[in-house]
Amino acid sequence: MDANSSHPAKVARSKLWFYGPVFVVIVLLILLVPLPQAASTPTDRTIRIEASRFQFVPGEIHVNPGDKVTVELISQDVVHGLSLDNYNFNLQAEPGQIVTGTFIANQSGVFRFRCSFTCGNLHPFMIGKLTVGSNYLLIRGIALAGLAVAGAFLSMWFSTTRHSQGVR
Amino acid sequence: MNMKKEILARVLVISLLLIAIAVPVGGYLISSANMGHVVDFHARMPENGGWSAGNITVQVGQPITLHMTSDDVVHGFAIGKSNQPAIEILPGEFVDKTLTFDKTGTYTFYCTHWCGPNHWRMRGTIEVTGAGPALQLDTEPLYLQLGIDIDAPHPAKVVPTIQPSAERGAKLAYLLPDYALSRETYLTTSPADLWLKLRAEPSISKLSDNDLWDVVRWLWERQSSPESLSKGLKIFMDFAAAAHGMTGKGDGVMVKGRPTMTPKNMGHTLVRPPDFTDPHTLLGASPALLEGKIIRGGMGTGMPSWGAIFTQQQIDAIVGYLYTIAWNSVGVSPATPTQEVSHP
Amino acid sequence: MTRLDLTRFPKMNAALKNRWPQFLLRAVTLAGFTFTILAGLMGSVVGSHNFAIIFVWIAWWTALKLFFIPFGGRSWCSICPIPMAGEWLQRGGILEPGKKKVGSGKRWPRFLRGNWLQAFGFLLIGLFSAVTLTSSKITAIVLLAIILLSLVLSLIFERRAFCSYLCPIGGFTGLYAQAGPVEVRVKEAEVCAAHSEKLCYDACPWGQYPLALKSSANCGLCMECLRVCPKDNIAVNLRPWGSDLQADTRHNLSEAFLGLVMLASALVDSAIFSGPWGNLKMAAYTIGSREWFLFAGIFMVSALILLPGFYALCVSWANKLGQKKRTLQQALARYSQVLVPLGLMAWIAFTISFAFVKFGYVLPVISDPLGWGWNLLGLQTKAGVGQSSAFVQILQVIVLAAGLFWTTRVTRRISGSNRQSIPLILFSSVFTLGMLWLLIG
Repeated sequence: MDANSSHPAKVARSKLWFYGPVFVVIVLLILLVPLPQAASTPTDRTIRIEASRFQFVPGEIHVNPGDKVTVELISQDVVHGLSLDNYNFNLQAEPGQIVTGTFIANQSGVFRFRCSFTCGNLHPFMIGKLTVGSNYLLIRGIALAGLAVAGAFLSMWFSTTRHSQGVR
Repeated sequence: MNMKKEILARVLVISLLLIAIAVPVGGYLISSANMGHVVDFHARMPENGGWSAGNITVQVGQPITLHMTSDDVVHGFAIGKSNQPAIEILPGEFVDKTLTFDKTGTYTFYCTHWCGPNHWRMRGTIEVTGAGPALQLDTEPLYLQLGIDIDAPHPAKVVPTIQPSAERGAKLAYLLPDYALSRETYLTTSPADLWLKLRAEPSISKLSDNDLWDVVRWLWERQSSPESLSKGLKIFMDFAAAAHGMTGKGDGVMVKGRPTMTPKNMGHTLVRPPDFTDPHTLLGASPALLEGKIIRGGMGTGMPSWGAIFTQQQIDAIVGYLYTIAWNSVGVSPATPTQEVSHP
Repeated sequence: MTRLDLTRFPKMNAALKNRWPQFLLRAVTLAGFTFTILAGLMGSVVGSHNFAIIFVWIAWWTALKLFFIPFGGRSWCSICPIPMAGEWLQRGGILEPGKKKVGSGKRWPRFLRGNWLQAFGFLLIGLFSAVTLTSSKITAIVLLAIILLSLVLSLIFERRAFCSYLCPIGGFTGLYAQAGPVEVRVKEAEVCAAHSEKLCYDACPWGQYPLALKSSANCGLCMECLRVCPKDNIAVNLRPWGSDLQADTRHNLSEAFLGLVMLASALVDSAIFSGPWGNLKMAAYTIGSREWFLFAGIFMVSALILLPGFYALCVSWANKLGQKKRTLQQALARYSQVLVPLGLMAWIAFTISFAFVKFGYVLPVISDPLGWGWNLLGLQTKAGVGQSSAFVQILQVIVLAAGLFWTTRVTRRISGSNRQSIPLILFSSVFTLGMLWLLIG
């Protein structure tokens, strides 16, 4: 056999050059490939959220993609606000007066909403969660975790293969 | 050990430490020295101490600057019986307000953003002294002049069964005796009492009961201009809705957990405000009585006194708005809860 | 062994041996620490407008986890101001050791050694974190108490007693420094064997003997050994990540305990600070109330019983699957290495969720550190409420997955077979899924 073309080191390195990019591509696919949302007709929803120091009630809300969501925010004690991550949606609530705002849930995923008016010490952690559609990022994360375990084993197998072939 | 280097190192450490100490301490000393006519003014919830200065004294004609911030939640600052706009005070942020008083006397300042159940207690006074014209003292409120007992129960003896229309009432006004049209009658009589009085008048006899209610509603509503009503609405929402509820039902967020008012517990314990959406509540009260309750408060129910806060114009606007709540509640079934609450 | 010895480069070697750069950094951090305490005590009680809160819990805490540890191992410890006063007194000089040394120099009691106290200290921080992280005064008092405690301990005990055995951050940093890319080791062991005077050991504030130094957990990268070694036999190596986590490195039970406490704290902190559960936050905040005791109880049970129990189960299962017979204690200690990359990446992911949202406060608080209305930087705009973008969320997923990848490799490396590594991989996967759900679920 020709020494150059089948040298263990070169074989191992060429394998890495193949599997490495494959790995990266799979990671990117898992993270970025658009997944279809479960078909559901967008509806109009009205959600009443009560804000108090330091929580939103309800703290977890679920809507379908495309829903037209009207939030009725009512503060129970002091001035609070509601700012929704990723959506340009902000409300300021004076205690006792309902303030309403509407947005279209056109982005899917999990978004936290936060109080936007300092209302005391725990204000930075006055957080609620809005889920639009399915939380695909979590599913991607789980898939990526599985890939991580598999990839770890594969990469270990690689090094042992290289070592057993006398390659350092 | 190289002593020169060691000394240099020590000097460096001490210098940096001194700077670290000088910045806050020095900054504090400099700002206190600069104060002069600037008052460091902190707003806090009453539970945390309220206004950092409860009473401020200033000379008439001399400007005073309030260097304001909040230490906890959003507050606001305004001076009672004044038409100057309120100033929002955000936690950690500073706003300066310079005030000059041209009349001597006692001014009340108060918080303008609900900051908890004790928000309405968050008040203070500014004493303006010196040689100068004095603040005109308030005239004696009407309820005192007339000797009205504002603590006595005042349920309406009669109430309309279908919602009266002021528009229809206007067309029937020609039948009214002169006294019915006077402002004095409006101020001193409750809608129910006026209805009863007019019911007995021979000139009115051909009007049905509902027609008469239309007329009474018209008599009431002509006392307030649309601007006044919308002002009254805004004042109600900003000052009262937290306790009275946005609809006036007495179910505001601040009174949750309180028992409903009954003859037994009234005056002895903190109770919910009366239900303005029940026509019996307000239609049995004269404007003078309502004005009295607003000005004096203190029924042992937790209702604050607003005499130092509202101008006469504002009180008239509130009273006018209150009656619209009563009129609009006639013939309406109890409010249905908001539809479509989404589940998590 | 892939190591890059920085001392091989003359300029680098001179810079590491030179006392001035490190000293200047220390002087600055000491002044900054003092300023932070004063800001916390004297400045605004509104946390977002106080230098103490923003710089300790956002800026420095993030820098520690995203920069100092991943790229420098225990590097923060070399410039940390907390032991400085004590150390300067102990060695009789600020820039370099002098003659007039102050302090009793007692040995730290044997039974208090190890990571146990640090682990409990970290649990204590977690129990009171909802209040400490949000109150500028309490932050300042905690810092003041720590620096005074460290000083007192330095006057009684030898070397950096506080840092080695009490500092919870030290425990955190040391544990994860084992995964870090920097180490101090001897160049040639024979040189040390022939040299009887152990100047390096005498000079080390951490009580480490460089010849015996096999783990970066207890080395604070202060470079004193480098400076005193007459044979120039100390190396400062850049090395691959995770180098202290090998099949033949020695670990002990207290490391396992510390690692588990870190994992439990990451879960609980994620739930409290990133979750939507207001009742949990209130329970954690209202110290002394019935709810708080319930929270404390659940926290303690999770950290002391549930998570360690799950770990022990997996370890004993793995032990049975292996050919080499080990006692449970040996196995628990050996597998503690698995907890290191897992925890490090979990804390990085949590920090991304916790701090990135609030970075907008850093610049304004430099402009007005005491919250007195100053505007030193002449800023026009105020900080907004901040938000977590899609990019930040994806980043957390990648970080957590990378942590699982890394810890799986370590597990396989120290296990005898693929089968034997399954139980600990199961442990790590369950933990990772938990963090995933808490942070982005």
